Amino acid sequence: MASQIEIFVHGQGRKASVVAASSDETLRAVLVRAGIITAGEAGEVLVFVGECDEALREADDVEDGADQHAPVDANQTLDGLGVRAHHHVHHHRCRHVAVDVNFGGQTKHRRFSPATTIAVVAAWARKKFKLDPVSASEFRLQICGTTDKPRDDVHLGELVEAPKCAICFDLVKEVTPQG
Amino acid sequence: MEHPDQRLFDDDLLSVAFRTGVISGRWERSDGGLPPAELVWPTVVFWIAAAPRAGAPDRFFVRLDVAAYRSVPPTGRFWDPATKAMLEFANYPKGKPGSRVAMVFRTDWGESGRAFYHPYDRVAAQSHAQWATEQPHLVWDANHTIVDYLTVVHGLLNSGDYIGV
Repeated sequence: MASQIEIFVHGQGRKASVVAASSDETLRAVLVRAGIITAGEAGEVLVFVGECDEALREADDVEDGADQHAPVDANQTLDGLGVRAHHHVHHHRCRHVAVDVNFGGQTKHRRFSPATTIAVVAAWARKKFKLDPVSASEFRLQICGTTDKPRDDVHLGELVEAPKCAICFDLVKEVTPQG
Repeated sequence: MEHPDQRLFDDDLLSVAFRTGVISGRWERSDGGLPPAELVWPTVVFWIAAAPRAGAPDRFFVRLDVAAYRSVPPTGRFWDPATKAMLEFANYPKGKPGSRVAMVFRTDWGESGRAFYHPYDRVAAQSHAQWATEQPHLVWDANHTIVDYLTVVHGLLNSGDYIGV
């Protein structure tokens, strides 16, 4: 029997939203009904289920890695895709987001799923730059050329819009309040 | 009747960002041990999970004043639901000397520990005008939500510089 659930939908250039759905609906129908995509553009949009944290399991010696997190067939039902209550769904036109992270005069590169949180990218970067685990959490990602430090729960895909499927960060130490 | 700022606050508690924090065990709204009559708008209480440290609780409660939410930042400090009073300074979470954890949770500044020592806290921000230029990314504006505030406190309570109570 179909159940009524809420799912968390993320996508390019928009804040995440809560969408009510029936487990026997197709994911495409849910996104169209919620006004997140139009029926006409449905074929051009990639839909990812779940948040991707593959980078956290990447071996230290891998350079220029890439997530395998694949888009799903949105014509399947939520049940068929294993989408349950409060699962995250991400729609985007970019297959990957190419990320550069600068620190200490070096740059690390990786191609992430758009459904990757800033927390995961930051953890990957701290590991790649071999920061002391005790103090590592004091280092955050700041969008290059700005003072913007996206919050940990933000998805990479929310920060980029196709056709520019890339973003650059500086890894910077959080400022300690003084005075 | 619900105030406009209360309505906005309640809406933000329904957001993906706040609910994801609840589901993952990072925080949740609480009554702080108080009966409803003693917990009236604009006072709100949350618990926030802390990294395990010997002899320290696995969560801390914060009591916040969120008047004029989101136009102005919240302000508040740690709360003790057992005594139904502000947490004794001796039981405050501590950080390594000189760390950001130690600074934000300090109790020896001008406001006598009445507020967190951070730009997201209304009382601290008002008495430190220089922070707006020193830390422009932490200037509170109407695009900020309670999740930003909770994220900062959660981050500090789960930092490698947090050493317990």
